Amino acid sequence: MLHRHNLLRSIATLLVLLVILAAIYALWIRYQVEPVTRDGKVRADMVPVAADVSGLVTEVRVADNGEVKRGDVLFVIDRPRYRIALEQAQAVLASQQAALAQAVREDRRNRAMTDVIAAEAIEQGRARVEELRAAIGQASAARDLARFNLERTIVRAPVDGTVSNVSLQPGVYLTAGKPALALVYTRSMRVEGYFEETKLPAIRVGDPASVYLMGVADEIKGHVESIAGGVEDRERAGADGQLANVNPSFTWVRLAQRIPVRIAIDAIPANVRMIPGQTATVVVHPRDDGRAVRRSLPW
Amino acid sequence: MIEEIHVLGVYMPAALVWAIGAAVLVYLLRVPIQRLPIYRLLWHPSLFELALFALLWWGLSASADLLLPHGVLS
Repeated sequence: MLHRHNLLRSIATLLVLLVILAAIYALWIRYQVEPVTRDGKVRADMVPVAADVSGLVTEVRVADNGEVKRGDVLFVIDRPRYRIALEQAQAVLASQQAALAQAVREDRRNRAMTDVIAAEAIEQGRARVEELRAAIGQASAARDLARFNLERTIVRAPVDGTVSNVSLQPGVYLTAGKPALALVYTRSMRVEGYFEETKLPAIRVGDPASVYLMGVADEIKGHVESIAGGVEDRERAGADGQLANVNPSFTWVRLAQRIPVRIAIDAIPANVRMIPGQTATVVVHPRDDGRAVRRSLPW
Repeated sequence: MIEEIHVLGVYMPAALVWAIGAAVLVYLLRVPIQRLPIYRLLWHPSLFELALFALLWWGLSASADLLLPHGVLS
């Protein structure tokens, strides 16, 4: 009787142990293997709009956070100065043309009277014509450049988007190439999920995905557009062409690295606004296409 | 899938919340379970409680994923 009782106790205890292991396995699959991450961000490409010519800002035609279409005027730089520069270039060109006309007349006259004019003087006259022709080419290029600069004083939006962080005011002096405001390219909006590398084998390009913005209940539908081609090797320093410099680390604990997975947005619910930088939870639903991913167990 | 739960603006992983819930449930269920005859069959009663905790943890996670729509807690 006692013997049978002991056997029963052993079996019951074993069963309990099995239940514990099964539950831990299920939890591990749910939280460590299924392709879900809370580490996602809404992202969009940004164009730092810079002036192509230096000068005082005379007019700002956008308000902060305003939406602009491609080609809309954002701000205007000191047009009078560049208009004067154009007039100057035109005047230089006109004066060169006048000088050329005179030189051509002189040259023609000299060549008609070869008996009285020294050969040297005739040659000098011809060289003068050629010099002036070259000078006119230069002056005409300078005029075109001045006209181009005048056009570039009107800074236009290069893409559709939303201007952001605008603190530009008339009177600010902008140097060429210095970004004056940020333009967020709205159409490039996407979500990037930073997935642990351990979860990556389950993700394929084209898998449907759900995105939940922090604090927003509505689901944003999307699909996996692409997976990053590479991430930085943190154990290794040194540029190309140098010898490898590998960090002499000995780690008991290692963490899975994060690989960016790009989620294209298919449908945004009405009234949900996506702002680049927002935090998002990304859930990828692997398609049942017969793929075989051999998961390694926790060891 | 419920991934995170916020309590007064602090976003916590859902797994942590379900673990706390499972622990509280196990604590409450201890007394009634001790009266069951199966309890005498076990070498280590605490092992049974651990199993119950793990099961409840997984059960809460799975049922929350299935039943709770987004926006109820998360």
